[in-house]
Amino acid sequence: MSKRSGGTRKKSAFSGLSVVVSAVLLFMVALPTFITLTVGLLPSMMAFMFDRTQGRTMARCIFGLNFSGVAPYILELWQQGEQTVGAATQQIFQPVALSIMYGAAGLGWLLFLAMPPIVANVLNLSAQRRVSELRKSQRDLIKTWGDSLIKEIDRSGS
Amino acid sequence: MAQEAEKQKQDVSDGADDRDAATAAPSADDADEGQGKEGPPPGGGRHVEIGNFRVFSDLPLPEFDMGNCKAYTADNLRRDDGGAFALVADPAIPTRYDMLRFLTGIHLGGQIDLLDYEIAHWPLFDRKTMVLFYAKPGGGRVVVPGEKQRKIDEHDFAKVVVEPLMSVMQAVADKSLTHRNIRADNLFFADPMGEKVVLGDCCCAPAGFNQPIVYETASRMTADPAGRGLGSVLDDLYALGMTIAALGVGHTPLEKLSEQDIIDLKLAKGSFQAVVAHEKLPLILIEPVRGLLCDDPDERWGFAELNAWIDGRRAKPVQSNTERRAARSQNISGKDYYTARALAQGISKNWVNSLAPLRDGSVEIWLRRGLADNERAKYMSEAIRQMQWAGADKRAAEDVLISKSIIILDPTGAIRFKGFAAMVDGLGSMLSYDVQHGRGPQRFADVVVRDVPSFWFGQQGGFSPDVQKLQQVYKNLRYYVKQQSAGYGYERCLYAMVRNQHCLSPMIEHDYIVDISQLLPALEKVAEHISDDSWPVDRHIAAFIASRLEDDVEAQLVALQNPSDEVEYSRAIISMLALVQWRHGPDNLHHLSHWVARLMEPAVKVFHSKARRERVEAEIPKLAKRGNLVELYNLINDEQERRKDQTEFISAVEEYSEAESEVFDLESSGPARLELAEKVGQQAAAFASTMIALLTVSAMFLMHIW
Repeated sequence: MSKRSGGTRKKSAFSGLSVVVSAVLLFMVALPTFITLTVGLLPSMMAFMFDRTQGRTMARCIFGLNFSGVAPYILELWQQGEQTVGAATQQIFQPVALSIMYGAAGLGWLLFLAMPPIVANVLNLSAQRRVSELRKSQRDLIKTWGDSLIKEIDRSGS
Repeated sequence: MAQEAEKQKQDVSDGADDRDAATAAPSADDADEGQGKEGPPPGGGRHVEIGNFRVFSDLPLPEFDMGNCKAYTADNLRRDDGGAFALVADPAIPTRYDMLRFLTGIHLGGQIDLLDYEIAHWPLFDRKTMVLFYAKPGGGRVVVPGEKQRKIDEHDFAKVVVEPLMSVMQAVADKSLTHRNIRADNLFFADPMGEKVVLGDCCCAPAGFNQPIVYETASRMTADPAGRGLGSVLDDLYALGMTIAALGVGHTPLEKLSEQDIIDLKLAKGSFQAVVAHEKLPLILIEPVRGLLCDDPDERWGFAELNAWIDGRRAKPVQSNTERRAARSQNISGKDYYTARALAQGISKNWVNSLAPLRDGSVEIWLRRGLADNERAKYMSEAIRQMQWAGADKRAAEDVLISKSIIILDPTGAIRFKGFAAMVDGLGSMLSYDVQHGRGPQRFADVVVRDVPSFWFGQQGGFSPDVQKLQQVYKNLRYYVKQQSAGYGYERCLYAMVRNQHCLSPMIEHDYIVDISQLLPALEKVAEHISDDSWPVDRHIAAFIASRLEDDVEAQLVALQNPSDEVEYSRAIISMLALVQWRHGPDNLHHLSHWVARLMEPAVKVFHSKARRERVEAEIPKLAKRGNLVELYNLINDEQERRKDQTEFISAVEEYSEAESEVFDLESSGPARLELAEKVGQQAAAFASTMIALLTVSAMFLMHIW
């Protein structure tokens, strides 16, 4: 148990370290991209910091859509001839851009909220259908075997 | 004892007389099965046609009466070779199966010819009974009570009397049977010249039942008439000795004495001494009478000694009384007894008063000091000790002690228990008599439950195949009596022991069913009128079938032990009846089939499937119409179908139970499902989100490339 938790901690520490190293490298090599990602993925970072769900599913959910919202602006930034901090700043602080990026993160959060009830409904419906199928088969058995079946069930039950 | 025996006979006679007085009105039942057809004869008298004979019910032949069985004139319709008479058996007394089978249709020198026997409706009884047809002997009765005896010359005794009687006894003994009805007033002259005598009937009543007590050995005379038992050839030889004495003196010896006096006299002096003390025997007959009346069966004359006497040779001298006499008496209820056998009889007649001398050891001391019989004294002290070990039922233990004491004192005598007195080989006929004469089976059941016969067997010295055989039969009786359910009990004992006992079920008692093949036709007749829901098999019929049917019906009897299990109970009854029909027919039992069909409702429940039940229910009336119980039984006992039904039913029960538990799981797993839904939903959302991200990035990348 301790070995497993140690392994998980090790993996988590490694993953955190790799993110920091990647961030430092990115900061050093491509500062405009770093700025765009940092500002655009702010909801995801917050989610990763505060998410306590198992497997950080909420953070992963927000990150996926948040990144989808940020990705076009990163691509646009990379398509410009020279990548400058100014251009990146100008691009990122446009209200539309922020709305798209943060809206996408919000959609991710909504998706996270909406999905469990949907799944619950699906499971409930399937259970109900199974119950009615079983009840029907029991009715058919009683029709075939009559009272003796019920008596036998009662007898074995008692 | 003697009074009781007298009373027993009186009861029977009274019954017979009542029936004699009944009008001979023809009955509607007379015509059944072509037997018992009553109508006016050519001569004008009333007659009944029974088998090959025409019996005239208004022409009695008292000369040939046998105890309570009355004789009537009969004509042989098939053969005209001399006269015949019909002996109508008392239906309340069993006839002798083995003797009937042996004697029917054969000519045995010295025995009246038994032409045939039939079970038929007898109008004077207004019920069925057994009728025996005998060829009329050429001469009349040898000894007619109240009339002057037709003398037989003393010197012709051997030729006229002894030789024919010996040939009968030998022929009967060769078949391991006994005549047990040899007496002077049951002898007839075979021809008008009186050159030979023939013995009369011996089949219409249990062995020894009609014998005056003087003709019974010291062992058997203490038993009730119905319980005197089959005995052995030695008992016949004893009766022959007394018959010779009776013919010699011209009347039944000791006829002026009461039965009790005869018993006391024979026990005190010995049989021969008792006779010679009161009767004047012809000199020439003293030797055979002494030899044949010897009270010690081992010393008694046999055929060899008789043949020697006939040939004029001297036989070995016999001590007539071998019973040891005590130096001092043992007193019971104010009477002194000097021999063990006499004391045994005294104890049986003074049941309550004899307990004290038995318990305080007086009788044991008398045996030890008076008779110097230490062995019997040891048995007596052992019996007293066993009584002291008895549990709560002290009274019963005391009765058993008295009964055992009687056996110790008279080991070859009758089993005596309170008022009950029967030989071990006469237990069956005694039970039959008790049951049919209002005494019920309790006395017999007491004897068997208290295991008194086991003690009797233990007291028999040496090895005897007959005793071994009786012991084996007795073991079964104890088992039957201990079982309370239908098919066992005293009823089973009755039919197991008395081969010619007719079925005493109230439904068919009047039909006198002796043979199992007659059972279903009788029930068929009952079924014509029966309207209630009673079962066609009651305790008597179940026991009758169990005893008489060749097949083992123990499984069915086990099912009858639990009447609350309707299915198995009804199946067992139908199965028994079907077995009887399969074995003995008849093929068509229309009414009985309908009766059984009405009661088959529980048996149909043997099938669980509604469809199968409906099919069977639809089939029952069709099969009932055909009158075949076997088909009806097969319908509910199709083993393949039943097994299939059972297997499918078990699967159905399992399927139902599994469905029930799954439904329960589904209905009770709401919170768990919500938890699962949340987990799965979150994972699905994360997955969807990741996929969207991947797709978006991929799409944009591709767009950029193009």
